[in-house]
Amino acid sequence: MELDINGQRQAIAPAWRDERLLWVLREHLGLVGSKHGCGVGQCGACTVLVDGAPARSCLLPVSATAGRRITTVEGLASADKGLHPVQQAWLDERVPQCGYCQAGQIVAAAALLHEHPLPSDAQIDAALAGHLCRCGTQQRVRAAVHRAARALARGAQ
Amino acid sequence: MKRRGFLQAGTGLVVGFALPGCTLPVFPKRPVSGYEDALGWIHHEQGRFTLRLPRAEMGQQIATALRQVAADELGVNARSVEVVLPTTGDTARVRATVGSESVRDFALPLAQACATLREALARGDTQGQLEAEPLPASSLRAFRRRPEPRAPLPLVHGHEIVTGAPLYVADVRPPGLLFGRVLRAPTSPELPSRPVEWNDDDARAVPGFVALVRDERLRQAQAHGLGLVARTPGALDRIEAALSVRWQSEIGGHDGASVARLLDVDTHRARGRLPHEVLDEGRVDEGAAWDVDLRIDIPFAAHAAIEPRAAVAAPGADGTLDLWVGSQDAWYQRDVVSQTLGLDAQRVRVHPCRVGGAFGGKTICTVELEAALLCEAVRAPVKVQWTRTQEFRQGFHRPPSSHRLRARLREGRLVDWQHHFASSHILFTSAGVPAWLQRITDTVAGDPGVARGAALPYRMPNTDVRFALVRLPVFTGPWRGLGAGPNGLAIESAIDECAHAAGQDPVDFRLAHLTDPRLARTLRAAVAAAPPAPGGPRSGRGVACGTYKQHSHAAVVADVQVAPDGTVRITRLGCAHDSGHLIDPDTVRAQCEGNLVWGLGMALSDALEVAAGGVSSDSFASAPIPRIHDLPPLDVVLIDEGEAPGGAGETIIVAAAAAIANAVRAATGHRVTRFPINPAVLAQT
Repeated sequence: MELDINGQRQAIAPAWRDERLLWVLREHLGLVGSKHGCGVGQCGACTVLVDGAPARSCLLPVSATAGRRITTVEGLASADKGLHPVQQAWLDERVPQCGYCQAGQIVAAAALLHEHPLPSDAQIDAALAGHLCRCGTQQRVRAAVHRAARALARGAQ
Repeated sequence: MKRRGFLQAGTGLVVGFALPGCTLPVFPKRPVSGYEDALGWIHHEQGRFTLRLPRAEMGQQIATALRQVAADELGVNARSVEVVLPTTGDTARVRATVGSESVRDFALPLAQACATLREALARGDTQGQLEAEPLPASSLRAFRRRPEPRAPLPLVHGHEIVTGAPLYVADVRPPGLLFGRVLRAPTSPELPSRPVEWNDDDARAVPGFVALVRDERLRQAQAHGLGLVARTPGALDRIEAALSVRWQSEIGGHDGASVARLLDVDTHRARGRLPHEVLDEGRVDEGAAWDVDLRIDIPFAAHAAIEPRAAVAAPGADGTLDLWVGSQDAWYQRDVVSQTLGLDAQRVRVHPCRVGGAFGGKTICTVELEAALLCEAVRAPVKVQWTRTQEFRQGFHRPPSSHRLRARLREGRLVDWQHHFASSHILFTSAGVPAWLQRITDTVAGDPGVARGAALPYRMPNTDVRFALVRLPVFTGPWRGLGAGPNGLAIESAIDECAHAAGQDPVDFRLAHLTDPRLARTLRAAVAAAPPAPGGPRSGRGVACGTYKQHSHAAVVADVQVAPDGTVRITRLGCAHDSGHLIDPDTVRAQCEGNLVWGLGMALSDALEVAAGGVSSDSFASAPIPRIHDLPPLDVVLIDEGEAPGGAGETIIVAAAAAIANAVRAATGHRVTRFPINPAVLAQT
């Protein structure tokens, strides 16, 4: 079994083929950015992109993702362009408190901006409603998504 | 299929708790860290400075703040100070990271040590240990007031967080890592329980099975555990399912209603004087009529950090144990684990990791001991991370509380104030202190955590503030702000009723009674920053204020709109905050924002269901926390008039929920007496 993760082919050892995608990413491949928060798809900390759409990796059997394009928070930045505008906006707005939920939020925000380049507050809230943050960073999350949208718009000009 | 049981003789007789004469639990030590210790926190080598952070970093950004202190005092760019989280072998013992103490108690010795280092480097001393007298705070550069605010510096760990680099304990992956879980009965660990039967062969047949671990030391309070070790995390779920453990548990008829009966403050009052005094001035007449008489009930609440607690234990060389933790007290973990495993304390090396949210909940030793015992059993590295359900069932929670608040007014001024309440233990948490020992602590110390915030900031001649402590069948302990959150909610609800009874504006009424000019200044600032109150049907504005631990001041203004079906929509939350001198104002602002959101949760959603002898809430579906669409705009005013630095992590929580409840009162005329707010009671019929 092979997976396409962040543009790279990754071989999955037999012992890991019955696992959920989250555990394969974290424990087999060492991509620990996606987090375990609830295990039942309610908190969003494990969110990755599958063929560009946000998915809860804690629920996805890894076998269901073979042949699909998986992007994790580790795959957002690139060597030539540096941080993804969402990641940079997150730093500029000083969004994180404890930081544990943030990778899932960042991945979901990147997907949102791909679909809606200039989202309204309501669109942000709808896209991130399933992302829990106990520290209370939600207001800065909104601000960072708007900031990233502006940066992306500037980059597109 | 073979089900294996084991001898049950006598287990039917297991009632009650540990008996006197049993081993004392390990208590967290609370050393005061001073200048001498701080010399070990800051290092210099070939132009590079390293700060060995003496605090747990859990999102309060103490790493960012103390790096700023060190850089200012050293006179270098903060980027040239590298922050590391030291192991217990690297520095002297420090106390737990609790109570918003880190800037107040650690910034000064750190700055003194950095001043010593700076002077030594200026003299050309670059080798060896330093000894010099500490400079007084007035001559330190780190605490000088700055004429201009400066741009915030990058957060320590910020880049790692946004790129997903390893930071947290569950991100640790030593070679040969296995995965562990300790199964326990679904009842509260406060009640005796043990595994009596399970499908041994079925479990062993699951691919990835490594071991079943039976060990008396896998007990959490009264809950005996059954340990599992597997090659993958998913195999743990499959093994648990295959085991199909049958548990013997005592339930004792405990559910939400029985907890409410145990706590009912009026029942306690009927039995006589409540035992623990907070205020007793003048004489409050029990017999005469009251102008305000209010009963407020507040339920259990979970910390609900998004990171379920986790630990990794790995055998080191020469019989040592390496233990990675996400804890508010790495030293306490070392003490409990070394004592339980019979190791010299120095042979347990604890590596603290960034904590994925704690809020008072990661102060006890649970998963750390589980990982260490499973590691000992299989002689290989083991990672244990609790499931979300374990977090709810086996963690400790904010205690519920039941309040009776009564007041008399004369000519618009408070004369008599009576606040009686019943709650469960906080500082002497039932998760760490057995019942027999609590009977002693009850007698000699009460529980200052439960009392926190009950001494209200208003002036009146006669006060009678007392409480009763009840050990409950569900563990209770520290939760953000300790008693100050629920006490603030109850007190500020009642003060608001007093203002109504006096026919006065709630802000004017408070200002007329406040004793501390800093708190009055804070309240005025919050009100001044608020836009005109919104109009419209069933709209209202509420205010509340309070002081946290005598050093930090909070005032909150909430605007709400209540829908015909009773749904409360908060349209704005604003606060003013004064914790004296600010090191990094933006991170204090973030703490205020977080506390506003916590206040929103306290008012609208925080609760845990209790049924069949334990917490029955098992996911975020049955124990919801605020979501992004629940949030109104949050406005924060920071006051810094140069007073000594206080704490910021818990201040605003003393006023946030009450401001919302008071806004609901203004919008609907209804005084909320049970939290979280049930929309049905606000629905228009």
